[in-house]
Amino acid sequence: MIHLGISNLHKKFGGNHVLKGVNFEVNGPELIGLIGPNGAGKTTLTNILDGAIKPASGTVYLNGERIDQLPPYEVARAGLGRTFQVTRSFRRMTVLENLYVPSLALGNARSRSELREKAMDVLEFLTIEHLRNEFAMALSGGQQKLLELGRLLMLDPDVVILDEPFAGVHPRLMDVIHAYIKRVNEEGKAIIIISHQMDSIFSLSQRLLVLNFGDLIADGPPESVKNDPAVIEAYLGSHGDEVAA
Amino acid sequence: MRKRIPNIAGAILLLFLLAFPLIYGRPDYDYIMHIMITGFFYAILAASWSMLTGYAGQFSFGHMGFMAIGAYTTGLLCHYIYLSPEPTGICWERGFFDQYLIVVNPIGVTSTTLTQDCLRQAMEVWDGTVKVTKMPVLLGIILGTLMGALAGFLVGMLVLRLRAAYLALFTLGFSEILKAAISAEIEITRGQAGLELPPLYPEGVTLFGHYFGPTAKLPPYYTMLALLLLCLGILAWLARSKFGLFVRALREDQDAAAALGVNITRYKVLVFTITCSMAAAAGAVQGHYVQIITPNMLFLLQMSLVVAMAVIGGLENFVAAAIGAIFLQVMLELLRNSFVIGGIEVDMTIWRLVFFGILLMVTLRFFRNGLIAPLISHFRRSGIAEETIAKRKIDAGGAGS
Repeated sequence: MIHLGISNLHKKFGGNHVLKGVNFEVNGPELIGLIGPNGAGKTTLTNILDGAIKPASGTVYLNGERIDQLPPYEVARAGLGRTFQVTRSFRRMTVLENLYVPSLALGNARSRSELREKAMDVLEFLTIEHLRNEFAMALSGGQQKLLELGRLLMLDPDVVILDEPFAGVHPRLMDVIHAYIKRVNEEGKAIIIISHQMDSIFSLSQRLLVLNFGDLIADGPPESVKNDPAVIEAYLGSHGDEVAA
Repeated sequence: MRKRIPNIAGAILLLFLLAFPLIYGRPDYDYIMHIMITGFFYAILAASWSMLTGYAGQFSFGHMGFMAIGAYTTGLLCHYIYLSPEPTGICWERGFFDQYLIVVNPIGVTSTTLTQDCLRQAMEVWDGTVKVTKMPVLLGIILGTLMGALAGFLVGMLVLRLRAAYLALFTLGFSEILKAAISAEIEITRGQAGLELPPLYPEGVTLFGHYFGPTAKLPPYYTMLALLLLCLGILAWLARSKFGLFVRALREDQDAAAALGVNITRYKVLVFTITCSMAAAAGAVQGHYVQIITPNMLFLLQMSLVVAMAVIGGLENFVAAAIGAIFLQVMLELLRNSFVIGGIEVDMTIWRLVFFGILLMVTLRFFRNGLIAPLISHFRRSGIAEETIAKRKIDAGGAGS
């Protein structure tokens, strides 16, 4: 049973208190949306979860193992994978090589033929199998997003964090990404989606978390969160200067 | 078939290099062989630097420093370490199995101090009755290579958090400090006067039924070529393994690589250790070949030459970098011959460097991955674009029907 436990997480950058005691748990294959205005602390939280930065205080446990002090590669091996807000494919490596990296790093393929077969399955699912030998830099922005998602399928983590998976993506590719999220979730993985695309996040998520200036102001089913006065206040603001999408 | 063209061309080039010293018979034989040996030396440096910089993205300006560590390690060991069945009583010495390991005292560079050499004094007393054994050259080269690997490991650990210009400056500083230390420690290293080394084969060697003396060119030619092939073999094996994949991922985006489970610390340190040991091995063999080493081998110009060779050959392909190094070394030497146009003598000893600089600038401006690597890539990746286009046409046809 997957369990991600985040307890009293704090992070400061200079005088900027970015996370102010964030607490939540993920139990089992939940599909969670994480939203909040710009500067809410979403990316900082993601960076702490994947080990890229260390929290000032607080703990993160994944399946009983404390991961908040581990380097990113050990967090990945412990079972937490992520994509980035701005796509970070290995541009001067082929599409297949991009997919081989996580699988070889974790040693989860027994042979080269099994590795290739697994990678081809992923590419076919993502509808970019014809690009397998192209360099990643030859792919469009949307295709590079798919490639990044494909790398996560090869990593096969228990918890998947998708940072802005729908940003700048063509509607046809959006369908592929929706199918991807459903497939990963059905495989028993927990997914945390960070997005400003409210339509997608409300339709996909079973549970919504809302961050605002480092505070977790809401945690519940999308319908109740949508009508939460604190969330409306955070998005619309008392002066109406923040407009929700 | 087209994909095999680089392999066929490589096999022909290899056969040519193997046969060249046997079929070349002009009076300038020694000079041409010297150019080729030096070309192989630079090829090892350019190929290993290509792995470090072109594959792993670690822009180091300290590669010649590691080369010098290899050369000076074997040089100093061969200069100061001896084995003797009898103790001298005046040198630093320790029992070593049934012999004595003797470390000779440093005496500097002036001839008037030669009598202060403790071993020399003892040998005068022994008057030829005691046979002293020098450090074997091969052992010196092996220890020089290991010392280069150790230095590479330590520098790799120190530069873990440095990227781009900061890494280049750090490694440049390392190389300059090393040069200053070697120049300053005249008593031990003999400073700018240079440290003499025994030849690669002090007793000569018999090859193909012929005896070749210690200064003959053919044995060092094949030795340096063998070292180059060994290094290229190791680099090819590494490039095709997960090591090659991970260091390229490191070059592209080390944060993304780490997030996918790649232990970036391990691979960064490993790539420094391996490539620096290759540079040290090349330095050690070259030191015994030229028989004298000075801190001038650490001049920035020397490092720039290696960088230029790798860039012109192709930074992201170590074979191309090696071929580029041999080609440029040969061309730079052959272009030394001055000529006269309309009564004006063109001094090519200077102008060849101008041409070299222009070639480097043109390459950097128009051919980002050098002149040879794109050719190899063109054949290796033939058919890939057609494969992509064919699939698109099928998709378009399917969508239209």
